[in-house]
Amino acid sequence: MVELWEAIADNFPELASGYWLTVRTVTISFVIALVIGTAVALLRIAPTRVLRAIGTVYVEVFRGLPLLVLLIMAFSGLRRAGVPITATVAGPATLGLYTAAYVAEILRSGFFAVGKGQREASLSLGLDGGQTMRHVVLPQAFRTVIPPLASLTVAMIKNSAIIGGSLLATQDLLKEARIEVGASGNATPLFFWAAVGYLTLTVGATVIARRLETRYAVRR
Amino acid sequence: MSKSTKWRWLAAMLATLAVLVVAACGDDEDGGGGGGGASADVEQFPADTTMGRIQEAGSIKVGVKYDVPPFGFQNPQTDEIEGFDVDLARAVADALGVELDPIEAISDNRIPFLMDGTADLILSTMTINTERDAEIDFSDPYFVARGRILVPGDSDIQGIDDLGGQKVCTAVGSTYEETLKEQAPDAELVLIDEYSGCLTRLQEGSVDAISTDDVILTGMIIQDDTLELVGDELTTEPYGAGIKDGDKEFQEFVNGVFEEYKSDPRWAESYEKWVGQYTGQEQEPTDLSLQEALEISG
Repeated sequence: MVELWEAIADNFPELASGYWLTVRTVTISFVIALVIGTAVALLRIAPTRVLRAIGTVYVEVFRGLPLLVLLIMAFSGLRRAGVPITATVAGPATLGLYTAAYVAEILRSGFFAVGKGQREASLSLGLDGGQTMRHVVLPQAFRTVIPPLASLTVAMIKNSAIIGGSLLATQDLLKEARIEVGASGNATPLFFWAAVGYLTLTVGATVIARRLETRYAVRR
Repeated sequence: MSKSTKWRWLAAMLATLAVLVVAACGDDEDGGGGGGGASADVEQFPADTTMGRIQEAGSIKVGVKYDVPPFGFQNPQTDEIEGFDVDLARAVADALGVELDPIEAISDNRIPFLMDGTADLILSTMTINTERDAEIDFSDPYFVARGRILVPGDSDIQGIDDLGGQKVCTAVGSTYEETLKEQAPDAELVLIDEYSGCLTRLQEGSVDAISTDDVILTGMIIQDDTLELVGDELTTEPYGAGIKDGDKEFQEFVNGVFEEYKSDPRWAESYEKWVGQYTGQEQEPTDLSLQEALEISG
């Protein structure tokens, strides 16, 4: 027990700075994932074949490659191609684009979960395509996608630790813990605190999702 | 499945099992007699010592680097793990009359590996220092490396004083984290898992310099001769083998093996093979004691 408190007291500034970087990384990645993911989902259900094909290629590429491979391509690959990208940009951008492929698939399934009859009813009431989407389909689709999006967000928070362990070497929470382990050899208490840090984020994400679920729940 | 087929399957499985058991026993005998002439006169140790336990197991698990030529690395031609540290590990295995079982130990997992028994011994370019000495025990130093800086040939960096504001790469968990924080406080550290990652980043220009032991940097120059060592020696890094904390008997045993290894031609042969032929430098085996090593590196 004493060992645990000593570990956090001795290494607080380092662990806190790692935690802060992890928070920033997952926040930026989450925004990118939602924005790009929605755009790709719209491409996937677009009426034009070319647009659908673009969406499909995006999903297959970003979902089909290991995150580590994407990270190295986005950092080392681009740098070798002459793009002076930094690890601080490449990390969250790659994690966001990777997660976006999953977001797109979740949104697409949510879209198809809304019965065809809903759309037909809306159109026959005189709403146009856009209005049907905004007022009838999306609100219902949103409700069904909250739980899978919450799982995805939790996975994304944990995936963020891959960035620091890769060639990008950013000093996120897990990395800071590892650096301090290297200096002291005291692995268990430091990794315990790193675990606590990740749990605050993953549990936090789950709690927010639960609230959203309750708010948009339909009592039947 | 009919009844007779079932029996046939059972018989076949029992036969296979019997063959495996016989084969496993056969291996054991091979292991005991393995290592050629050296093992014939090997001392058998009591089962309650680390040496006895290793002899019982038939192999010694030694944590070495897999990506640090010329000390511990995977030979791309043969896939074997080779290097100066690996030669020394083999000497310890021979002295016990057991097989060498190398396992990959990177800088930030090797101390936990010793503590939890994943490795019996660590020989992975590990500098003796007091921080680590509090967690594990060290053998006497078997090699002395010097801290240097590696830069691309066209770099403006000529020494430690030029590192301010520059990105300097070293391995997570290595002594250079502290060294650089003290000697070049304005440098921006990039801490990577493996030194091979530092080399990649230096080549693609996302770090400006690498700082670590000269032998590791020599290994990088062997791979890419446009790179060069600059500046004075930053540090003296006596390498020691890592031993589980408090295991005095094993520590004494390892020291005995090292003593013999340093005094006969094996140390010099291994040095020439892995370091000397590339650097053109000669070096005598170190006679530093563990106490002196701890005083040097603090």
